[in-house]
Amino acid sequence: MSEYLLEMRGIIKEFSGVRALNGIDLAVKPGECVGLCGENGAGKSTMMKVLSAVYPYGTWQGEILWDGQPLQASGVRATEDAGIVIIHQELMLVPQLSVAENIFLGREPKTRSGLIDFDAMFARATAMLNDLRMPHINAAKPVSNYGGGEQQLIEIAKALSKNARLLILDEPTSSLTRREIDVLLDLVRDLKRRGTACVYISHKLDEIEAIADSVTVIRDGAFVGSAPMAELKQSDIIRMMVGREMNNLFPREEHEIGEVVFEARNFTVWDPENRQRKRVDDISFSVRRGEILGIAGLVGAGRTELVSAIFGAWRGTSEGSVILDGKPLRIRSPSDAVRAGICMVPEDRKAHGIVPDMGVGQNMTMAVLNSFAPGGLINEAAEMNAIGRDIARMRIKTASPILPISNLSGGNQQKAVIAKMLAPAPKVLILDEPTRGVDVGAKYEIYKLIFALARTGTAVIMVSSEMPEVLGISDRVLVIGEGELRGNFANQGLTQEQVLSAAILPAHKHAAE
Amino acid sequence: MNKPALASTATATAPSGAARNPGFGVKLDHVKGAFSRYKILALLLAIAVIWALFWQLTDGDFLTARNFSNLLRQMSITGMLAAGMVFVIVSGEIDLSIGSLLGLLGGVAAILDVTYHMPLPVTLLVVMILGIAAGMFNGYWVAYLRVPSFIVTLAGMLVFRGILLGITGGVTISPTSAPLIAIGQSYLPDLVTYVMAAAVLGLLVFVSAQGRNRRQHHQLEVPALWLDGLKLFVAAAAIGGFVYAVNSYRGMPTPVLVLLVLLGVFTLMARRTVFGRRIYAIGGNLEATRLSGVNVQRVKLLVFALMGLMAAFAGITTTARLAAGSPSAGSLQELDAIASCVIGGTSLRGGSGTVFGALIGALIMASLDNGMSMLSVDTFWQMIVKGVILLLAVWLDIATGTKR
Repeated sequence: MSEYLLEMRGIIKEFSGVRALNGIDLAVKPGECVGLCGENGAGKSTMMKVLSAVYPYGTWQGEILWDGQPLQASGVRATEDAGIVIIHQELMLVPQLSVAENIFLGREPKTRSGLIDFDAMFARATAMLNDLRMPHINAAKPVSNYGGGEQQLIEIAKALSKNARLLILDEPTSSLTRREIDVLLDLVRDLKRRGTACVYISHKLDEIEAIADSVTVIRDGAFVGSAPMAELKQSDIIRMMVGREMNNLFPREEHEIGEVVFEARNFTVWDPENRQRKRVDDISFSVRRGEILGIAGLVGAGRTELVSAIFGAWRGTSEGSVILDGKPLRIRSPSDAVRAGICMVPEDRKAHGIVPDMGVGQNMTMAVLNSFAPGGLINEAAEMNAIGRDIARMRIKTASPILPISNLSGGNQQKAVIAKMLAPAPKVLILDEPTRGVDVGAKYEIYKLIFALARTGTAVIMVSSEMPEVLGISDRVLVIGEGELRGNFANQGLTQEQVLSAAILPAHKHAAE
Repeated sequence: MNKPALASTATATAPSGAARNPGFGVKLDHVKGAFSRYKILALLLAIAVIWALFWQLTDGDFLTARNFSNLLRQMSITGMLAAGMVFVIVSGEIDLSIGSLLGLLGGVAAILDVTYHMPLPVTLLVVMILGIAAGMFNGYWVAYLRVPSFIVTLAGMLVFRGILLGITGGVTISPTSAPLIAIGQSYLPDLVTYVMAAAVLGLLVFVSAQGRNRRQHHQLEVPALWLDGLKLFVAAAAIGGFVYAVNSYRGMPTPVLVLLVLLGVFTLMARRTVFGRRIYAIGGNLEATRLSGVNVQRVKLLVFALMGLMAAFAGITTTARLAAGSPSAGSLQELDAIASCVIGGTSLRGGSGTVFGALIGALIMASLDNGMSMLSVDTFWQMIVKGVILLLAVWLDIATGTKR
C-alpha cells in the first residue's frame, strides 16, 4: 500500500496541439486536504477533469495511481464508483426536487415492485444530514427553499452519499457569505477527521490557509511547486501563482473627489415571485464625481437588487428616483440608463455579461455600435481599430479579436465586459462583483483601472463580497443588510469587523460611525 | 449558387464559430470541426449529390435549363419566407403564422385587384403595409407582452387563416389582372440579366477594393491580393454560369430576381448593420444584450415586422403565380420555411444562421419535391422523404456541432 490515496504523475493534456497541462504532479494522502492554487487558465479545472475522467483515460498522458493501483477510468461514473467525486463551481441540483431526491438522484432506493421507496429515501437522507450536522435542512423540502450556502452543503451530502473517499471542491465558496463559508470549512474539517481526503480549489487564500494541509501551485499548465501549508505564507502562494512578488494587492492611488453627481432616492425593490417580500427597503445614497463607493454586505442582502433596479434591469417591481447632475432621470430599461450615462457590469458574467459565441471584439462594441454606423452600415475597419485599441488598453489576452469570447479565461472575459461598458464613457459606472472568478493578476489590473476611472472624474459604485477589496479600493463604504441601509462609512481606518457587524446587526446599534 | 457564395462562406466561419472549442484532439473531432466550419460547402455538396442522383434517375431530364428554371421558381416563395424566418429563429423565436399570413395577404391582393380593380402599385403597397402590421402585431405580443412566440404565432396561424376564409367566403378569387400575374410569371429579357450580372460583379470588385483600402487606412492586416482575386474569380464563374443557365431557357424569372435581391440585402443587413448584429447578439445571449443597453424588445418587434413583410412578398408572388387568390394558399408553408432554415444550418437555439444557408435549404427542399414529382413518386412518399431529410439534417447539425 502506498502512503498516498491518490497520485497523479506527469499529467499532460493537449487540446488540438495546445498543451493545457504540461507534466503536472499531485498527491493526496488519506484524510488530507490539498489546496490547488493557480491563476485562471492555469489548468486547475482541466486537471480535475482529467482526474474525474471527464477526459477519459487515453486522452491524456501520464499516470494516475489510486490506492497505489493504476486508475484507467473510462468516464465519470467509473471514477465515482472508485470514490472520487467532484463538486463543480456551478451547482448541479434540480431546484424543484426535494433535498432527498437530489441526494439520491439516479440512485433512488426502490421498493420490491420497482417504485421509488420514498420512506427509505427520506430516512436515509435525514440520517445523513444529521450526521453531517445539518439538521436544519429538511430532506423533504425542495432545494429551491435553500440559499446558495445550504445548497453547497447539500451538494456535499450528495457527494458523500456516493461513498466519496476523495472530494474535489472547485471554487465552492464563490457565492457564499462569510458565515456560510465558515460552515462549509467546518464540514470539510469534519470530513478530514473521518478520513475523507479533499482537493480544494480556490482563489481565496484565507480559505486555503484555514483548511489545507498542503498546497500545490500550478501556473500556465506547469507544475510550480508543492509544500505543506505550515511552511507557506499567503504571499508565498501568490508569488508562486503569478511568478512575481505582489506586495501591493490594492494599488491605492490618489484621486480628486468632486461634487455630488449621482443620487438614488428611496429605492424599494420587491421580489418578483413573492410580491410581498421587499428585497430592498427604502435606500437612498449619493456618489460624488471621482468617488469610489463600495457597497458591502452579505450575499442576499439586496445589493445586486438595488443596483439592478437603479440600472433599470430589475425584472420585478421597484420604485425610487435617480438624479444625475442635478436632473431627475426616468430609467425604465438598461437602454435608458446607458443613454443617460449610467453603465453597469453585471455580477453573473456568463449569464449576463457575454454573448459567448460572438467574437471578443463584437462583444466589446455592443453598447456603442451605433457610433460606428453613421450611414446605417457598420464601418468594420473603424470598429476593428477601436477594438484593437481597447484590447491593448485593457490588456485583454486573446489570440484574435474575432475569437469567440467564451474561449477566453474568466479574467480576460471580465476585462472585455468592462471595456464594453466603458465604451459609452459613462458618468457613473456600477460594477457588481467585478473580480468574481478572476485571477490575481487580472484583479490587480481591474483595480488599477478603477482608480484610473476615478481620476478622470467617473463616479464608481462597486458591489463586492470580498471585504479586503471593499476596504482596499473604496473611498466610502455603504453597508447593506437584509435590504436596509445599515451604514455609510468614510473609509478611513475602517475595519472589517466594523463593516461586518454593521451588515449583521440592525442600524440603530451603529449610530456612532 | 452565385455572388453571395463569397459572402456567406465568410460569414459561416464568423458567427458559427469554427474555433469555438479546441476539441479533443481525436480524429473524429477534426472531421466534425471541418464539417461545421465548411457547413455551406457541405450543403452545396449535398445539392450536388441530390442533383446527380435525380439526373441519373430521370435520364438527364432533371438537369435541363427548363427544369432548372422551374426549380428556381418553385423555391422562390419558400425562399422568401425562409429569408425572413432566419432572423426570427436566430433571435431565438419561431413564427408559425406565416403560412396563414401568406394566404391572407395573397387573398387581400387578389380582392384588391379583382374586386376593386386597384392599380398594381396601390395593391402592392397596401399588402406590404398589412404584412408589416401583422408582423408587428405578433412581435408586440412576443416582445412586449412576453407571450412565447410559439403560442402567439400558433394563435396567428388560426386567426389569419380564419380572416382569410371570412373575407373570401371560402372561394377562389380570380382572374387577377395581367400586371399582377406578371410579378409571378414573367421573365427578364436576357440583356437586362446580363447587364445586372455585370453590375453585381462590378460592385463586388468595388467593394473588395474598397475594403482593402479601408483596412490599409486603419492599418489592419490586408489579405493577399491573389486570395481576393480568387474569390472574385469564383464569384464571377458562379454568376456567369447561373446567368447562362437561366438565359438558355426563358430568362431570369421575376420572383427569382426578387429573391436574389433579398439575399443580397439581407446578407448585407446581417453582417454590416447594427440591426443585423443585434439580432445575432440577442439570439446568443438575450440578457447580456439587454444589459448592454440594447432595446431588445424593439429589435424583436422589428424582426417580426420584417417577417411580416416577407409574408407579403410571398403572398403577392403566390397569387401572381396562381393568377388567383386561393383560401388554402400557403398551408403548411411555414413548416417548409422553418425546415429550409434548419437544413441550411440555422440553429434553433438561436444566435447563428445565414440567409444564404436558408436559401440553399429551400433549394434542397424544392429539388426533392421537383425530382420526386418527375419520377412520379407518390405524394405520401414525398412527405416521408422530406420528413426524414429534415430529421437527419438537424441530427447531423447536432452531432457535428460543438457542445454548449
